[in-house]
Amino acid sequence: MNKLLGSVLFLAAAWAVAAQTGSDVQDQKIRQLEQKVDELDQKLKVAERKQELKDEQLSESAKSAASVTADTGGFTIKSNDGNFLLKIGADLQVDNRTFLGQGSQSFVDTALLRRVRPTFSGTVYKYVDYFFRPDFGQGQTVIYDAYVELKYFDRAKVRVGKFKPPVGLERLQSDDDTNFVERGLPTLLAPSRDIGYQISGDVVRRRVAYAVGVFNGVADNGLSDAAVSNHRDYAGRIFLTPFQPDERNPLRGLGAGLGASTGNVDGEALPAYKSFGQNTFFTFASGVAEAGHRTRLAPQAYYYLGPFGLLTEYGLTEEGLQKGTVRRDIAFRAWQVQATFLLTGEAKGFTSPTPRKSFDPRNQGWGAVELAVRVGDFSTEQGIYNYGFAAVTAAPRHAHEWVGGVNWYLNRLFRTSLDYGNTNFGGGATAAAGGNRPSERALILRFQVNFI
Amino acid sequence: MKRTLRMLPALMLGSVLFAAGPVKLLNVSYDPTRELYQEIDAAFAKQWKAKTGADLQIGQSHGGSGKQARSVIDGLQADVVTLALAYDIDSIAERAHLLPANWQSRLPNNSTPYTSTIVFLVRKGNPKHIKDWEDLVRPGVSVITPNPKTSGGARWSYLAAWGYALKRNNGDDKKAEDFVARLYRNVPVLDSGARGSTTTFVQRGIGDVLLDWENEASLALNELGRDKVEVVTPAISILAEPPVAVVDKVAARHGTAAVAKAYLEFLYTEEGQEIGAKNYYRPRSAQALAKYASRFPRLQFFTIDELFGGWQKAQKRHFEDGGVFDRIYLAGK
Repeated sequence: MNKLLGSVLFLAAAWAVAAQTGSDVQDQKIRQLEQKVDELDQKLKVAERKQELKDEQLSESAKSAASVTADTGGFTIKSNDGNFLLKIGADLQVDNRTFLGQGSQSFVDTALLRRVRPTFSGTVYKYVDYFFRPDFGQGQTVIYDAYVELKYFDRAKVRVGKFKPPVGLERLQSDDDTNFVERGLPTLLAPSRDIGYQISGDVVRRRVAYAVGVFNGVADNGLSDAAVSNHRDYAGRIFLTPFQPDERNPLRGLGAGLGASTGNVDGEALPAYKSFGQNTFFTFASGVAEAGHRTRLAPQAYYYLGPFGLLTEYGLTEEGLQKGTVRRDIAFRAWQVQATFLLTGEAKGFTSPTPRKSFDPRNQGWGAVELAVRVGDFSTEQGIYNYGFAAVTAAPRHAHEWVGGVNWYLNRLFRTSLDYGNTNFGGGATAAAGGNRPSERALILRFQVNFI
Repeated sequence: MKRTLRMLPALMLGSVLFAAGPVKLLNVSYDPTRELYQEIDAAFAKQWKAKTGADLQIGQSHGGSGKQARSVIDGLQADVVTLALAYDIDSIAERAHLLPANWQSRLPNNSTPYTSTIVFLVRKGNPKHIKDWEDLVRPGVSVITPNPKTSGGARWSYLAAWGYALKRNNGDDKKAEDFVARLYRNVPVLDSGARGSTTTFVQRGIGDVLLDWENEASLALNELGRDKVEVVTPAISILAEPPVAVVDKVAARHGTAAVAKAYLEFLYTEEGQEIGAKNYYRPRSAQALAKYASRFPRLQFFTIDELFGGWQKAQKRHFEDGGVFDRIYLAGK
């Protein structure tokens, strides 16, 4: 009995020990598993947090990242805050000139690169704009525009460098916005580009634009990279658009103003005046030099209403000329009136229209089509012959032109134009024929891409 | 006409008075001082109004100390800066010339109205038994601290660890570097600022210990409750001296030089010191320190000048690109 009891107790104790040992092992395994789970949980949390931080960093980077865009405005790199900007643009014009009628044999029909102008422009530090535009057209390399402009105050922007002095209306219009492939006769009497300083701005709620500046001084329609004397040219322009802010006013597109310049011309190059076909029709006699003062006046106006546009200006240059001991002030005058009509109904303005539908015939898009016509006149005094400043047999003192054309804007950037220009000359005689210089009849076809 | 001319000065004065709104002051500070300056700003604006009758609006900007300094250099219009370390204000003086190089001598205690130190925030019950710096390098201990290249607080933590190792190893620099390298091998995530690290530790539940400003750790303790976290104060740590300065050129431009100076001087007043102590910044005032003594455990301090030769040297050696931190952290990755 005792033996039996002892055996039972032994078995019970062994079972208890075995059970206890099993429970300990189980607890240990559970603890190990818990530890593993904790470790895995930490690893997962760390991975998630790292991703979270990475996302935050990407989001922060995106906030400050520069943007690169390519659209109708050109190719642009812009800092996130807009304070830094680089725009890469181009102005490419390919012309085909054909001369017709009497005297055309003395001109060469040609296809040429009229303008090849890459453009780099933009902003640094929010308030400073820059603009750089060389020209490689017609086999030459010329810096046309190179300036910086501090625009902290909208009402008084300060521009320094080489740019268009504020005189002629059509001269101030961008090359891609003009109604004709070549500008009218008054532009011959306005400076093209000059180096100087200018303050400009819009005041009276953008109803009045003004610009005043000091420049080296250049010949009519000329450009230069350096002054030839210590004298300076002073130029200014005021232009009013009194109804511009009122969108419903039919006179909203009316603008009128006056540009002017004055300065000493001693030692400056003589101007050469060119026709619509870009042939020089007026040159000075040998031995003639600029001497004394020059004053330019350029009253100007435009009016735009719906698809209709009208632009007119007058140019007067009175400048001192000298040959030998003879010095006189001679006046040159020119005027023009241009009218345009967009057949496709787009709104006309001082800048090129944006076609309602870009050229895409499969989707009924044909771009915008515009008819344009202008008349203009150029003249100088009889005294130009009397004082020997020009030869009556080489330089007519009168030119009268009319030009008709069609502009086809395939889209915002590409345009093709076909212009026919007739220029009659008077007041001078050619040595060969004994009569007036023959009329110039030029047909110019242009293909143009422009984006800045 | 004469009458109009006579009226002109009165009209001008009237227009000036009409145009004059409340005086505006911008305090550009580091990450964990939000609560401190909210209280300081309210107290000072009240005092300024009573003294001058003028309303005062104090704006606050917070972020990593180095990042904040860069923002001021880049044009952030700070009338005063209250940053985590003198090096960041030195940068503003050197690179942007907005205040003189001797800015630190213009206010008492090297322009440091309060001090702080680096402590440990651990989880309730301190399951990893973290008591001092040595415990942070044990395998299996996960340490949370921000990136010392972007966070002022993290630079203090890094130097605190380095200083501890130097002291323990009789100034042996190699052993100190090895210690800090081992510590950063236990850091799984590097946030850019102190607030980010607090989020990592507290809200995301990552890590066993957070190296933190004493005030930040104490605030976390109050906000989360003692049933969630505990503060462990090591036996030895660094005396962190976050300085303050008027940004002279900006304040002069804003016409706020006088009020900016008064604002910083207010930090040294008993009222300012008490507000600092209430927010767990160690006050310079013995009176305020005595009043809030229970908040600030006693420990042995060393200073940055004492062990590292000042901030310029420490910055150049440890935190510049290619410095010691880059070397040990990249090696540990």
